[in-house]
Amino acid sequence: MPALTPDIVPGLVAGGASCRMDADVAPRFKVGDRVTARNVNPLSHTRLPRYIRGKTGIVARDHGVFAFPDTSVCGVHSDPQHVYSVRFEADHLWGEHANANSSLYIDLFDDYLDLA
Amino acid sequence: MAHDHAHNAPPSDTAMRVKALETLLTEKGLLDPAAIDALVDTYENRIGPRNGAKVVARAWTDPEYKKRLLENGTDAIAEFGFSGVQGEDMVVVENTEDVHNIVVCTLCSCYPWPTLGLPPIWFKSAPYRARTVIDPRGVLEEFGVELSEDIEVRVWDSNAELRYLVLPQRPAGTEGMSEDELAGLVSRDSMIGTALADAPAG
Repeated sequence: MPALTPDIVPGLVAGGASCRMDADVAPRFKVGDRVTARNVNPLSHTRLPRYIRGKTGIVARDHGVFAFPDTSVCGVHSDPQHVYSVRFEADHLWGEHANANSSLYIDLFDDYLDLA
Repeated sequence: MAHDHAHNAPPSDTAMRVKALETLLTEKGLLDPAAIDALVDTYENRIGPRNGAKVVARAWTDPEYKKRLLENGTDAIAEFGFSGVQGEDMVVVENTEDVHNIVVCTLCSCYPWPTLGLPPIWFKSAPYRARTVIDPRGVLEEFGVELSEDIEVRVWDSNAELRYLVLPQRPAGTEGMSEDELAGLVSRDSMIGTALADAPAG
């Protein structure tokens, strides 16, 4: 019996696979905190893009607890931690090439951040 | 009769690769090819941006729904039965007179499938992903959207596990329109943030 058959497609599509985890993990940051993204450069998978590393922003929203993709890439959800929407000002990210009156929001895992 | 395609040209690399993968998965007993047909049918014919348009039109006409949608996008969208793969955890961001939102994924092509279907090719392209974060106003102009500098442009890089839907502004002159009629003004691109909702005809 194949793993993927037509009868299971509707359930797969409708159900999905959330990476949200029901784990009791305390957030290290709260909305309004100034945070700096760590300047780390792993050779393995990460959701911390280079253009954010070393930059400082403000926590805008706490999305709750999710599996950490950097260590979950082998298929097992692991290292549950808070994910925050962090706001960065465009001129801080891009200097003189920044657009006027622009900002960027990106979802960052607890492990990527330190208090500024 | 015009006949401008070559019958003897080999299939493209992508087509060959897809065929090889499907054949291998089938021969190893992992895949019933009919499941691929079911998936293609799902995303060609049943799940697409008309879903998102219904959500937007409801938010335009029902303030209580809009409040729920902005507070907990996943649950409010699921009221329509729209949920599942690549829409497990949704955030809806609202365009206003002061703020315009645009969504990009610099990691790959993360996109809210239950409300928008599969992403357009340009959303996955390196130029869109690289340029939208640094020059959103320039990208918007190329899409035909010119915004005053009084309007803040917010870029949402959806490279983690949340998926984003833009709630465009309701166009002027639509006061008497029904929810169904309003949904007709909501394009896919207006829910990515690379367009505004359409103006009503006439």
